[in-house]
Amino acid sequence: MLDLDAVTVRFGGLVALRSVSFRVEPGEILGLVGPNGAGKTTLFNGISGLTRVQGRILFEDRDVTRLPLHRRARLGIGRTFQIPQPMKHLTVRENLAVAQVFGAGRHDPARIEEILAVMELQAQGDRSAEDALALQELKRLEIAKALATEPKLLLLDEVLAGLESQAKRQFAAKLKELHRRFGLTIVIVEHDIETISELCSRAVVLNFGEIIADGTPAEVFRDPRVVESYTGTAHA
Amino acid sequence: MIDLVLQALFSGILVGSVYALVALGLALSFGAMRIINLAHGELVLLAAYCAYLVESRTGLDPYAAIPLALAVVAVVAAALFLMIDRIREHRELNSLILTFGIGIILTNAILLIFASDVRTTSSPRLQDATSIGPVYAMNGELVAFALSLVLMVALWWWLKKSWYGRAVRAVSSNRAAATLMGISPVRTELAAFLVAGALASFAGVALYAMSVVQPALGHALTVKAFIVTVLAGVGSIPGVFLAAILLGVTEALTVTLASSALQELVGMVLFLLVLFLLPNGLFGARARRG
Amino acid sequence: MASLDSTPAAAPLEGAPPRATARGRMPGNAALVAGLLVLAALPLVLGASNYMLGLLISALILAGIALAWALLGNLGGMVSFGHAAFFGVGGYTSALLAAKLDLPVLLTVPLGGLVAVVASLAMLPALRLSGPYFALAILAYAQIFRILATEASWLTGGAAGFQRYPGLPTVFGLDLASRTGSYLLLVAVVALCALAYVAVWRSHVGLALRAIAESEDATRVVGVNSVLLKSMMLLLSAFITGVFGALNAHIIGFLEPDYAFSGIWSVMPIIAAIFGGYRTVVGPIGGAVVIYLFDQVVAKGLIAVGHQIILGFVLVVMVLAAPNGLVGLLKAKGGRHA
Repeated sequence: MLDLDAVTVRFGGLVALRSVSFRVEPGEILGLVGPNGAGKTTLFNGISGLTRVQGRILFEDRDVTRLPLHRRARLGIGRTFQIPQPMKHLTVRENLAVAQVFGAGRHDPARIEEILAVMELQAQGDRSAEDALALQELKRLEIAKALATEPKLLLLDEVLAGLESQAKRQFAAKLKELHRRFGLTIVIVEHDIETISELCSRAVVLNFGEIIADGTPAEVFRDPRVVESYTGTAHA
Repeated sequence: MIDLVLQALFSGILVGSVYALVALGLALSFGAMRIINLAHGELVLLAAYCAYLVESRTGLDPYAAIPLALAVVAVVAAALFLMIDRIREHRELNSLILTFGIGIILTNAILLIFASDVRTTSSPRLQDATSIGPVYAMNGELVAFALSLVLMVALWWWLKKSWYGRAVRAVSSNRAAATLMGISPVRTELAAFLVAGALASFAGVALYAMSVVQPALGHALTVKAFIVTVLAGVGSIPGVFLAAILLGVTEALTVTLASSALQELVGMVLFLLVLFLLPNGLFGARARRG
Repeated sequence: MASLDSTPAAAPLEGAPPRATARGRMPGNAALVAGLLVLAALPLVLGASNYMLGLLISALILAGIALAWALLGNLGGMVSFGHAAFFGVGGYTSALLAAKLDLPVLLTVPLGGLVAVVASLAMLPALRLSGPYFALAILAYAQIFRILATEASWLTGGAAGFQRYPGLPTVFGLDLASRTGSYLLLVAVVALCALAYVAVWRSHVGLALRAIAESEDATRVVGVNSVLLKSMMLLLSAFITGVFGALNAHIIGFLEPDYAFSGIWSVMPIIAAIFGGYRTVVGPIGGAVVIYLFDQVVAKGLIAVGHQIILGFVLVVMVLAAPNGLVGLLKAKGGRHA
């Protein structure tokens, strides 16, 4: 599905990602783990096209490294932002309509309603995204917007952050439902070891812009280097 | 023919040095506030008419008007700054429209007070020509060139050494961080605006002393200054100076070799070519693409 | 990218009126345009003088450019200081085609718009520039076109001007060259442009463009090609402006580069649109009529030379006190009472 080959990102003299290579298999839910500043969001920016990278990014065996943002979205790479970025002055439904028309290349109101129902946003559908939504609703809108583009690969950036453990479990179940229902491949950035273990079949750990571990959650979280980088940073 | 070209090169350099002064003021206010002051040329014009006023009323040398020009332009520049500072939404483009409006007000105010006649110095000392080898220049042009060099060195020193200079650089690179460091953005931006106004004052007086002025000139000066800053790219003083000289020389050569009607065209075409082909300017490294 | 909010918006002032009203909703709909048409019929019903109709015709020409300018500003997120380029190109194209190729004027007018679109293609590289750079690049274009029109005197007559070309024809018994005919034609064309604007605003393209104005990256990431959509707005804006340039050329009957490419055609629409409210459809139209009549009837009477100083003050006061224009101001007031 997605192949990263020696992806490197530099900001001035700072190396944000150093030769990151891994492969995302079709249909898997991959956890992307690492302390703050490890380069997770930068990696998402590189894959979705917000940040230029060195190295190669293949999506479904097609080189997308030089493709602009919107072309990658149309090919099927959807993403959310850690800080939700709704189209503020549009209603929730209009947000999804734009994403669907331009991202999926068709207009299908029934499908928008389906997405709204799944993401529990039907009641908010005609409210403007800026003044009517609470943070968690905005985060659900982020996912709904990405879903409306009919992605094959969905990059989720800390969509579970800030939730109580009970709500977190429910939301993780929701993500599994999306994964099944829309036939998605998912890469999710998440700090919580329990959630990753529950949700993902595989986890990749980044630290200081480099991959330090790659395997099943159980393997990865036993790795001494991961434990070292992790203690005290994210999981209290 | 060779003589004509040499003369054009020489005159172009002299005019370019005044363009540099005008452009440095524009670049300074842009560097500090990230806004383009479309009334900057009118500030220069205001100073030029101060020089006309002093010369025609008192018979003194136009350069005697510098204190008056500095005071008048400082007041207008400060008022301009306070207005820009009040803009909350879409600051970059609203300030463009605001300063454009101020430019219209200033141009028409000058038109109302001084009429649309073309004015120039009547001082024989400034109008006399001095020949240097095969080329000659009006004394007014030579004075302007010398003044421009002195002011550029002064500005360089001010930006390099003074507390304000460091603060301006800090604020323009990161407003939030500068605030945390205890630097008041408003104070430093105001300082940058006032210094830009001072440069405009000198430029206006120098312009009056070496050339002709009329109310419509302000807008043209703003455009020229903008062309120079685009050619220069990053706001380095030598870069702005070289770009201004380049514009002055290109214009002078066009007038000599082709026609005066094409003078403006050459500047505009140069400007667009650099804007599209060299997004960082001739000497700069800062991107202007979003 | 050249978006209207490349600087982060400051926190709203406490107690400030809700601003979403002016931006989020479109006042323009078919009913409103119909109302405006009724309003436009009033001068004829009341038997306005030819002088008055002449003023209104000029005001409507400005209204058309102001609408085109506001379309680019509101939906494309770009401020232009160079719409005179499209206006002049449209005028010269239509006059030349009618005079030299004997094409009917009703055909050369839209062709004037089309050639203005071609001229705007040369400006597409400027769309990659951020706000102020775009604004001034397009100003440079307008100057270049003015100089070119002056230099190409074999075609345009140069600085001496160009005047032997047909005026507006008579259609279905209505002499469009008469004051009444010209006025009706302009009302119709302005209304048509307003409807086109509303249609674009409501379309998915319009939705995406409004989204781009707020958060460009978030919009591009769902598959929107922002440069393409903005280009479309530039072309549409150029077309409308070119058409009004062409209409103006045939109504005035005389062209010279300093007139056809005059900075006035760039400046007055800005003042009109800012005054009326450039984020609405009625704002630029109403703004143009009010500003033009005020400038010609009141300001010119007060100050013969330099009367534009008042327009400068209008611009400054509007940006500082009511950046959403008169329409925005009225709606904010209405919103508080409702």
